Amino acid sequence: MFKSKKVKVLLALLLVFVMFAAVGCGGKQEAPKEEPKKEEVKKWPEKDITLIYHSKAGSGGDMFLRALAKALEPGFGKSVIVDNKPGAAGATAWKAALDAKDGHTFLGVSSTLITAPIMNKMDVDYKSFKPIAMMFVDPMILFVRSDSPWATWEDFVKDAQANPGKFNIAGGIPGELGFVAAKLLQEKADININVVPFEGGADATVAVLGGHVDGAIGEYGEAVAQLDAGELKALIAFNKVSGVDIPTVEDKGYNFLVEKFRGVVAHPDTPDAVVDQWEAACKAALEDPGFKQYYTNLKLNVVFKNKADFVKVMEEQDKQIRAFMK
Amino acid sequence: MLEGLLIGVENVFDFSSLAAIALGVLWGIIGGMIPGINATIAMALLLPFTWGMEPVNAILLLAGVYCGGEYGGSIPAILIGTPGTTAAAATTIDGYELHKQGKTGIALGTSLISSSFGGFLSALVLMFVAIPLASVALKFGPSEYFALAIAGLTLICSLGGRNVFKGLLAGAIGIFVATIGYDPMNGIPRYTFGSLHLADGFEMIALMMGLFAVSELLSQAQELSGDAEFNIVGEVDTRLPGWNVIKTFLPTSFFSSLMGVVIGAMPGVGASTACWVAYSETKRWSKDGDTFGKGNIKGVAAPEAANNAVTGGALVPLLALGIPGSNSTAIMLGALMIHNVQPGPLLFTRQPEIPYSIFISLLVANIFMLIMGYFIVKLAIKVTKISKPILFASIMTLVFTGSFAYSGETFSILVTIGFGLLGYLMKKFTIPYTATVLGFVLGFIMEANLRRALLISKGNWTEALFNSGISTTLIILAVLAFVGTTYQNLKKPVDIDTSVKA
Repeated sequence: MFKSKKVKVLLALLLVFVMFAAVGCGGKQEAPKEEPKKEEVKKWPEKDITLIYHSKAGSGGDMFLRALAKALEPGFGKSVIVDNKPGAAGATAWKAALDAKDGHTFLGVSSTLITAPIMNKMDVDYKSFKPIAMMFVDPMILFVRSDSPWATWEDFVKDAQANPGKFNIAGGIPGELGFVAAKLLQEKADININVVPFEGGADATVAVLGGHVDGAIGEYGEAVAQLDAGELKALIAFNKVSGVDIPTVEDKGYNFLVEKFRGVVAHPDTPDAVVDQWEAACKAALEDPGFKQYYTNLKLNVVFKNKADFVKVMEEQDKQIRAFMK
Repeated sequence: MLEGLLIGVENVFDFSSLAAIALGVLWGIIGGMIPGINATIAMALLLPFTWGMEPVNAILLLAGVYCGGEYGGSIPAILIGTPGTTAAAATTIDGYELHKQGKTGIALGTSLISSSFGGFLSALVLMFVAIPLASVALKFGPSEYFALAIAGLTLICSLGGRNVFKGLLAGAIGIFVATIGYDPMNGIPRYTFGSLHLADGFEMIALMMGLFAVSELLSQAQELSGDAEFNIVGEVDTRLPGWNVIKTFLPTSFFSSLMGVVIGAMPGVGASTACWVAYSETKRWSKDGDTFGKGNIKGVAAPEAANNAVTGGALVPLLALGIPGSNSTAIMLGALMIHNVQPGPLLFTRQPEIPYSIFISLLVANIFMLIMGYFIVKLAIKVTKISKPILFASIMTLVFTGSFAYSGETFSILVTIGFGLLGYLMKKFTIPYTATVLGFVLGFIMEANLRRALLISKGNWTEALFNSGISTTLIILAVLAFVGTTYQNLKKPVDIDTSVKA
């Protein structure tokens, strides 16, 4: 009779245990090594590797990291464990990654690492970490219903210039990258549209389909089903979408770049040799058949950038967002 | 269509597929029962295991978890007054009341039957009218969502029993709490006092467990500390309801299921909203509406049918539009995409085995749920035989573990304790804390969509509020309900002693 109660309590305890175990893996069992010599660096990794991420299990970024971890394991010869630390707008994960000085804890990042610290005035940001590599970009596009009067981007610009502020375009919340993209696009194309913030790409896509707004700026992946079915059409893309022919902002001569990235960074004390080893491993992972299938199926765009170029992307994005938050 | 269904039957009635569904349902019910684990989390935990499976089996497993998870939350809601998931919050009102009256078996049976019924019906709706239903969902824009939230909020007026102002006060607290965190329109943190923990607002599950569970434990513990009998509930009737009882709530289950399917089909609102709308509308249109909150089985049947009917509804935008409207369907989308299956308008012609297998599996899952639920309920009901102090201590552990496990933040435990104390005080002053939960659930939807509607209408209020027939009807309904309830309450002198302890 106590059984069912006990089972429930046990399950809950088990869950907590698993969580602590996961934390423990990245944890502080080992004192930080002092000044590792060259020979020792070569032997890295000495134990299992932890990849911390700021959102919950099952989120898009989490699935990307888990697939990457699988592809990295053979090369490193150790397990790569993804540890989700959601909360505090990302700060929980980022602070945990800074606190872990075991040399085996790394951090999966997205553009949130740029936006959240600015919005929340955090004392941790992208500069707190050593970049390893940028791997993917979630391409953003501006899309409208197929039955809308605009056949091309030029049609839309002409109409928007003739009717300033008339057209409602669903977009992100100020401080999000989608919002920055909308601002820059208006500036460069010299148009004035009414950007209506939506919380998620799904809601925005539905609002376009239902005719509640005239169009939306969102991720290509969130509209792909309707684009394929011919219900929606893309007028312009902020980033090149591989395998699909959508004119990009670059094609139209607008000189700006907004990239929703996914990448990996390291603790600032990580030896350069280890960072280089990681950078090479990330590049090699892109050729792993399982990982390749994963990102092709999910229609992720591979945009590999080494650590030096990755910093530039983050610096540029930091500037773009700060410019619009004043 | 018929051909598709035959493919579905062929795929589902296979040992490995049936085993996947059964396993999924069982895992879902268990997950739903544990506070802090909802259908989404239960699915996310299984996700990595689905990568190596056949695409059809993977999605059947997840569909099973989804059905089971939406039901499981009602078991602790009835037995210990703690909703296992946010979708079971409304079930607590009458379910726990029935349990306290000793009608535990009736309450648990009603929830099981109504849940399975709602899930089964929604699967049928999904099967036959997915495409038309998707176009209904598309009619809901910001104005319509706002009107829906307002209509749902009118329940606040009657939750306070005879004193409408207590209900309004409690609701206002909930709406205020919902404003904490990012401003949905300009991204600026509000009322966070610089704390990063508050930046994303309060976790609904931590808040609910505080208001429901911790407050109840505190007041019961206080009663225990006196000379009161240790076993307050006394003997409980563990017999499940017979046909004569079932037939009284089936019409309620039917209409609540329809509400659940439609609400489920709307992106952005899900089971935690559906359960309240169904509860509120059933109370409004029932002849015995005034006995809701005092242990009316329709108060259990309505939210349970609705939250399970959401499963079929939520799959409408996913399958018909290729757009996930909720966290649970986003996980299903991920599981499908990893197998190179792209849901959307073309799925039915490109890979018909996927949607039709899902339809059939949902029907099977709800039948499995009825059978498995029966045995789980028989086991769970024995919780009532545990002595109160041991039970309370275990629940407290479970609640804190749950709120921590859900968010991974110790801060959530503090939130649970804080809202527990608030709930306890509200009980003392007979202020209905259920109205606070309702305000919290609907407050954010209401605010964000009103502001969005105003942005679209360029500040024109008439256009924003009465954008379409749907929004106008819902707003008129809400105004009538508010005026009606307030008038009724003002006619009678306020008598605090008879106020319902919600």
